[in-house]
Amino acid sequence: MIRKHTRRAVKAAFCVSFGVAIVLGGLAAAALSAPAAKPAVKLGTKNFTEQYVLGQLYKQALEAKGFKVDYHESIGPTEITDKALTSGQIDVYPEYLGTLLSVVFHRTSVPKSPTVALAQARKLDAKRGLVLFTPTPFYDTDAIGVPGALAKQYHLRTIADLKRVPGLSICGFPEFRTRYAGLVGLRKAYGITKAEFVPLAGISVYAALAAKRCKVGDVFSTDPQLAPPSKYTVLADPKEIFSERSQTVVPEVRAKVAAALGPAFRTTLDAVSAKLTLAAMIAMNKAVAIDKKSPADVAAAFLKANGLA
Amino acid sequence: MILLDSVGPGTFLDAVRFIGANGGLLWHKAVEQLALSGASMGVATAIAVPLGVLLGHLHRGSLLAIGVSNVGRALPSLAVIAIGISAFGIGFTNVLVALVVLAVPPILTNAYVAVDQVDPDAVEAARGMGMRERDVLLRVELPLALPLLFAGIRTATVYVVSTATIAAVAGGGGLGDIIVDQASYRFPGVLGAAICVAALALLADLAVGGLERLLRPRGLRRADGRAAALAPEPLGGQAAPGQ
Amino acid sequence: MSVHSAAGGPVHIPSFGRASACITNNDLFCPEWVRDNWGSVLQPALVEHVKLTAIAVAIGFAIAFAAAVAARRHRILETPIGLVSAFLYTIPSLALFQLLVPVTGLSVTTVEIALVGYTLLVLFRNILAGFRSVPEEVLEAARGLGLRGRDILWRIELPLALPSIVAGLRIAVVTTVSLATLAAFIGQRSLGTPMFVALRDYFKTEIIAAGGLAVALALGADALLVVAQRLLQPWARARAAA
Repeated sequence: MIRKHTRRAVKAAFCVSFGVAIVLGGLAAAALSAPAAKPAVKLGTKNFTEQYVLGQLYKQALEAKGFKVDYHESIGPTEITDKALTSGQIDVYPEYLGTLLSVVFHRTSVPKSPTVALAQARKLDAKRGLVLFTPTPFYDTDAIGVPGALAKQYHLRTIADLKRVPGLSICGFPEFRTRYAGLVGLRKAYGITKAEFVPLAGISVYAALAAKRCKVGDVFSTDPQLAPPSKYTVLADPKEIFSERSQTVVPEVRAKVAAALGPAFRTTLDAVSAKLTLAAMIAMNKAVAIDKKSPADVAAAFLKANGLA
Repeated sequence: MILLDSVGPGTFLDAVRFIGANGGLLWHKAVEQLALSGASMGVATAIAVPLGVLLGHLHRGSLLAIGVSNVGRALPSLAVIAIGISAFGIGFTNVLVALVVLAVPPILTNAYVAVDQVDPDAVEAARGMGMRERDVLLRVELPLALPLLFAGIRTATVYVVSTATIAAVAGGGGLGDIIVDQASYRFPGVLGAAICVAALALLADLAVGGLERLLRPRGLRRADGRAAALAPEPLGGQAAPGQ
Repeated sequence: MSVHSAAGGPVHIPSFGRASACITNNDLFCPEWVRDNWGSVLQPALVEHVKLTAIAVAIGFAIAFAAAVAARRHRILETPIGLVSAFLYTIPSLALFQLLVPVTGLSVTTVEIALVGYTLLVLFRNILAGFRSVPEEVLEAARGLGLRGRDILWRIELPLALPSIVAGLRIAVVTTVSLATLAAFIGQRSLGTPMFVALRDYFKTEIIAAGGLAVALALGADALLVVAQRLLQPWARARAAA
């Protein structure tokens, strides 16, 4: 005997789910077609700690000045985030000047002077409809980090010394494999051809080094793990495949969006960038990576302390 | 300069071209994935089959066997892998442990139900003939339970092979290394590796099916239809989709 | 601590708070971190995750139901629908998410399209199997009683197909909860986001908190559906009690 309430319940369940589908479809359509009163800025970040901090800093500073921010955290490495920018899925993200020139524009030599690098990048980006705001004081460059013990054992000072290490293995983000500021440069500029590459899509290079999955790793110069006293030694890069001094951070923005949002948009971001010294960045990276504070909280504290939010 | 292409019908052709051009790399990664999957399935089978068969023979512990399946089936794979890593550190062994945890439930439950539900008349007859308990299990119950038992192993195999793709995030290697690296391999690579994962899972499924056919006792081989009747849908439904 | 920057005036670096010994040592689980970061990290991730799952299952169910209703009478439809959903099923989700981004952007839509695609196979098969499990004699009796097609569907087939449908829903829900964690890979917030972030820095507490929440969500949803099924099938309870 089929109970009435069962039939009704099933009918209700089905109608509810159909209803949900229709409502959602309607909302989606409305969202797509309605022009927004004040357009939200689509701010993106790349996929590592420092970017999360930078993203939160810019996001909260903008929101404090009345902008609406549509935040897309952790999109991926430069190769993917840049594409998201040029295709309009995001309007702005913080990029490293040297990386922009070497990865996006395939330069194998980046100008030694950050000023020249910025001018070059601005010219190239203008052709893509993008503008670069004012760079930060701090720079964050890739580097090869080796455990102190290994450095001592083989007297490693510069990257070229790595040729002395037998069975060399290098850990890094997957895109390190195809970049000139990466394995390609190590091969072409330093002649290191026999290295095994261990890609790290999810785990950190320090965790991999500690677990001995590789002998040396691609590290970032602002990593708190490198601040003294550190277990790791950073090797010098005389051939400058990592474009150290030009690795300042600069917000890369779609020109049309920058124009539409007005000068207040730029001054807000520039005001934040001006405060980002090396010491400040390392302190914030430490708070997030070592002390496990959330990037949002750390950014909020910093902005408040500097009158920006 | 835009590095990455959009996705279109051409992407599929490019993916096929990628597979053709990178056979060595894909083979290497596929072998890594199979090694991880094979080792996990080996350990899981070694744990779950004897336990399930024993419980089924004794007609005990149904709550445990079925409950394990319900719980195990629900475990989100990334969560299990990530928790495994925090508990045991990174490395091949630890991803393997996580995959074993995911593989045991379907194998255990199917092994239990398969032996538990063997035709009681056949078991009675065997005992009546004076067979020892061990022989009843090994020569009567197990052969009759084989189809359902293997259904569980097949489900688990496809699930493990597919989930091993996520292992790349945990440093586990395999074709996942290519799928998570769109920056280096672009869409043709991502799609090409994805196609290889699907093919790998399919091949694993066929291999286990073939193994079952080999081990199936002659008496049950009469007609495929007959054998199929003994091998219902694996308990709990299909394996999870390609992770 | 104060450092002068070139153009911005003095820079004040506040104290960001100390970390407990538990966190500095990266012990397995530090409850104080969960307490401090529940509101900013874990709860938003959980809420987003529930939303993603609910939308995907609702839409997937609606589509699969309509397809199964159509296919139950017209057997010729079963194969193509089955094939399309089976094909979607085999694509690794990490790949499908990425491949959809150029088409539908970095948005919830992209994730939902993929998640819905994955639910279709299970739901379609189970709903159809449920319909098929209704004995022909029952259908004939119903027709003999003068019931029309729609009445037969709602009053006879659906209630009898319920166990199979709920079984399919249970699988669909737990599978979607699992796949939604991977949506974090394309930057879409879910419980996978803290998992990925914590894996990167190898922070055990956050991994266990987020992973534990995902497991609890899946098990809880599964249990809820079991309860719902028992409620919707009082005759099954009666039969079991008899």
